[in-house]
Amino acid sequence: MQPYQEEYISNLKDISMLTVRKAPAGLSFEKYFQELLQERRQVEQKIKRNMELLRQELFPILDHIHEADPKILEELQEFAGELLYGSGRKELDVGLFCQIHKALLTLARLTKDRNGMIRELYWLGMGYNNLCNKLIGLDRSKTWKYTYQMRLCFTEAAAYLKYYDEIEDADTRGYILRSRANMSLGWFQTPSDKIHMVKRSLQVLQDKEYQEKEPNLPWERYILMTHQQMAASISYSRESTMTFEDVIDIMESVYIVHEKQFQEAAAKNEPPLLRPQFSYYAIKYYCGLNTLDDLLTNMELLMDQVEPDDFSLDGMYATISIPAFYCQYLNDYPERIPKRAKYIEGLYQRILDYIDVFPKDSQNEALFLYLRQLSFTFLETKKSISYKEFLQKLQIRFAPDLYVHSWIVGKGAAALCEKIIEEDPGFFDDIIMIRQITNPEEKREKILTYAMECGLFHDVGKMNFVNLYTQMGRQWFEEEYEMAHLHTLIGESCLSARVSTQPYSPIAHGHHAWYDGSHGYPESYHRLECQYRQMTDVIGLIDWLHDMVSTQRLYMGFEKSFAEAIQGALDLEGKRFSPLLTARLREKEIADQIELALTEGVKEAYQQVYQQT
Amino acid sequence: MNKSENKNQLQDEHQEKISDKIQQQKYRISELERENAELKDALKVAKDANQAKSSFLSSMSHDIRTPMNAIIGMTSIGLSHIDEKSRVQDCLFKIKSASSHLMSLVNDVLDMSRIDSGRLSLNKEEFSLADLIHDIAVIVMPQASQKNQDLQIELGLIQEEILIGDSLRLRQILVNIIGNAVKYTQESGKIQVCFTEHYDDSQESQNPVIWFDFLCKDNGMGMSQEFLKRIFVPFERVNNEKTSKIEGTGLGMSIVKNLVDSMDGRISVESQEGLGSSFHVEIPLLISPQSKQELSLPAKETVLIVESQNNKIFQITEYLKDGGLIPKHITKGLDAVTWLTEQQYEGTMPFAMLLGQELEDMPALELAAHVRQLAGQDFPILLVSEEDWAQIEYRATRAGISAFVPCPLFKSRLLETLAGFAGQSSRKEGPCASQDFDYGNYRVLLVEDVELNQEIAVEILSFIGVQVETADHGAQAVEMFKASPEGYFDLILMDIQMPILNGYEATKQIRKLPRKDAQSVFIVAMTANAFVEDIRLSREAGMNDHCSKPVDPERLQEIFRNHFQQH
Repeated sequence: MQPYQEEYISNLKDISMLTVRKAPAGLSFEKYFQELLQERRQVEQKIKRNMELLRQELFPILDHIHEADPKILEELQEFAGELLYGSGRKELDVGLFCQIHKALLTLARLTKDRNGMIRELYWLGMGYNNLCNKLIGLDRSKTWKYTYQMRLCFTEAAAYLKYYDEIEDADTRGYILRSRANMSLGWFQTPSDKIHMVKRSLQVLQDKEYQEKEPNLPWERYILMTHQQMAASISYSRESTMTFEDVIDIMESVYIVHEKQFQEAAAKNEPPLLRPQFSYYAIKYYCGLNTLDDLLTNMELLMDQVEPDDFSLDGMYATISIPAFYCQYLNDYPERIPKRAKYIEGLYQRILDYIDVFPKDSQNEALFLYLRQLSFTFLETKKSISYKEFLQKLQIRFAPDLYVHSWIVGKGAAALCEKIIEEDPGFFDDIIMIRQITNPEEKREKILTYAMECGLFHDVGKMNFVNLYTQMGRQWFEEEYEMAHLHTLIGESCLSARVSTQPYSPIAHGHHAWYDGSHGYPESYHRLECQYRQMTDVIGLIDWLHDMVSTQRLYMGFEKSFAEAIQGALDLEGKRFSPLLTARLREKEIADQIELALTEGVKEAYQQVYQQT
Repeated sequence: MNKSENKNQLQDEHQEKISDKIQQQKYRISELERENAELKDALKVAKDANQAKSSFLSSMSHDIRTPMNAIIGMTSIGLSHIDEKSRVQDCLFKIKSASSHLMSLVNDVLDMSRIDSGRLSLNKEEFSLADLIHDIAVIVMPQASQKNQDLQIELGLIQEEILIGDSLRLRQILVNIIGNAVKYTQESGKIQVCFTEHYDDSQESQNPVIWFDFLCKDNGMGMSQEFLKRIFVPFERVNNEKTSKIEGTGLGMSIVKNLVDSMDGRISVESQEGLGSSFHVEIPLLISPQSKQELSLPAKETVLIVESQNNKIFQITEYLKDGGLIPKHITKGLDAVTWLTEQQYEGTMPFAMLLGQELEDMPALELAAHVRQLAGQDFPILLVSEEDWAQIEYRATRAGISAFVPCPLFKSRLLETLAGFAGQSSRKEGPCASQDFDYGNYRVLLVEDVELNQEIAVEILSFIGVQVETADHGAQAVEMFKASPEGYFDLILMDIQMPILNGYEATKQIRKLPRKDAQSVFIVAMTANAFVEDIRLSREAGMNDHCSKPVDPERLQEIFRNHFQQH
């Protein structure tokens, strides 16, 4: 790799370490806070440096890619590989990875470099696959785009299978076969579609003719991974869509993927891992060999088996991910909830205890992924912890910077609301729960608490994109900006599904919509139809002001003082922001109070993070 | 004659006179009775007419008052929120909708009045049946989709497309009937509309006639047999709880009947309460003597159809065969990519791809975007869809769609659009949304310091067909712009990182020049710097758009399409 590429990678790793909240380890809050601010500054410097590296070194290469010598192109590929796989399971910069491979693909297409095209299609497909994984939990109609892009890349590369004999390059043959196998990654409209796709891949991979022509390829690995896809394909299947042929295919793969593992474990006198045991039970249920009650009972047995201090991948899976599936089944069949309500209540407590004792310094991607999965299937019962409480803990523990931003927005919103209701007590009366309160003091309290909580939850959707929002080592590309828009939909979808968080869902949904409807997102938010619109406007304004003056500006390329941000908001009066709100920003006293809330809020919020870590 | 005989005679005469008088009286009485009855009838007619007038006035005043109330009410709300643009905008939209409804009421009444007074005259002008049916689809489709109804518009055998008649009145008939079907069919209901034609063999005339046949069938609320007898009487409407909130004067069907009659057509209705209604209209229309256009389609070229709806596939396949083309049909997007990759590798690419609106495995536009990359800029991708082009144009052209063929699908439309691409590859012109668009009159200044990049860009631009002049750096670009006559350059493609003067500075200097076109010339940043900030900086410097490097030909095409075709 080129020195600038190494420096960029190294900066990314540093940023990733610096943005993970460490345990205070005996430090006083003041000391902890000072260290934290110091780290923030280091992160900002590294982001700026990364921008310089890209602007001065990488972009000129992409600019002149037609005349780049082969060595430079090879180094680019190596660099891209590091961006995706340079830090083990955790990707470092999938956006830049895709950007580089898109450029290389365009070059290959223009120069009609067949092998280059196949290779770049494969890697671009892998990049899209990584993006798809970030969108787990979101309504599929919103995320299909990324799945299609991935599948189309793999399909085009796999189409060259027909010319396998003509293509003599072993690597290219490998890319074709891997692309063929990866065509079945991600969601399909029906399980049968996926099963048939995997089956066809298995036929290709097990074909002796292909194997004999390229014996050095890791055929066994290809085949095992494809069987894994077949076994995993069941997780979203429905009984009614399965044919007996599907069941046969799946059971075959299950035998290869799971039963072999059990046999190997038994031979070593070791207990089998919990994850494959769950998969096995689930498959039996889907294939009609067991009832749902059998499956739920077996899952309870598995969840009870895991030790409270088992921080291995399998332990994490059993403690958090299996409960997520468990709740999903109960959400799908709510008539079974009363019988198992008590178990659910204990389950969540166990998970929170587990998170509390989980080693604080570890930046565990898998743990966070499983928790996000749990968040999407969360089942709120009368005695369970509330979803609201769960989300708050999740933010503090895994996305502290997001929590700090949310806290600050809540505080700023409450400050603005206080001034508004002094002048116009009925300002928020479109909101039914506010209008119903007749006692003025009680109403005031309710509005202020509501504003604070709306701030706290308006950005929960961003937890799916922490890499984009708080661990990013550079500014966003346009595609990332577009993807970041999805946080409003994810937030709305999570919050609206549970009683304790329903009042905040319209705010999560609409806080990036423009007042006049001319710009902003998402399209599904219709301001005038929303009874919470005034509060959404307030959160939208404070959120924007804070983004202008916080680290977020680095990702967007803004650099504004608070006074400039206020002026920016005034410039957008009646367009982006409600004139009823911006009119108040002209009053110095109100602007000062908001600024105070934004600055004081930082310390207050970190104090909570300090206390809870 | 003796005295007694005289007496008898006198008595007889007297008797006769009396009898005459009685007869006269009887006749008078019967006359009076008849007159009386007539008067009673007249009185009844007058009373009925009065009743009808009152009912009309009551109905009209109610119907007029409803939208008027909305207009007055929304105007007041708008005025009281004058500072809230979005609120005012919402009020204006509602006022606009109420005003259109009011206008349609007034038009109905005027039409009825014209019909009653015999002042309705029909035009005889040439019109395209395809245009007429597409216009109708654009009007009724959104109404049906608002109610989540399944409105299917199908074409049967259409033998003559250019006809002579009063297309406006014909449209009025069809929109009225389909509009009623939408109004009186429940949410998620089903409406089937079918258009066909048949020749009139019975007529022997110098002007050949074809019967235009229209059937509209719904599974809505239907009508009672009793109401069916009065369906064409003015101001008659089905009155029940379900219809009370549906707007209408009850004039529509009466107007339709009168229009059909005046066109010497026939209309029939079948209906069953609770099950739905079926309207059948047949109208004789003159066939235009205009000769059919000869299309220059490439013989025996393959056209790929990617579509999963069976009814459409059959139709498209037949039309292509009629045009001498070879259809190749695939239902899945992934299979299409595999097939196209193979064809490209073997150098046997099809002439074009027809993309339906429904594929089995992915949205059509996702596939289009990938095929555009795979097959290159000069490969025609046609979208065959029922959607309103105006609604999807932006997304579709961004995805690389070259042209749009609306549904219901007419053979002439499909083949004409395909013919527009024939011979295109030899001309090296890239297709675009309106494929006949000629960029030849536009002049582009390409500012690029790297020779190879310049060569590639020139190559791409020449494919598109624009005239290109080049500058090696920003300063040279500014000088060339200064030296050119006003309006000489239509667009500038500006690299950012360049020696002597970079793209931002060059743009700023051009914008500051004291000449009219300094502000209006369209400047596009062309750079690998793809951050959101870069895009913002280029805009701040005065550039209008952004194209990332390495230059994607389709992206350049898109920019040209968006800019030149709108100016």
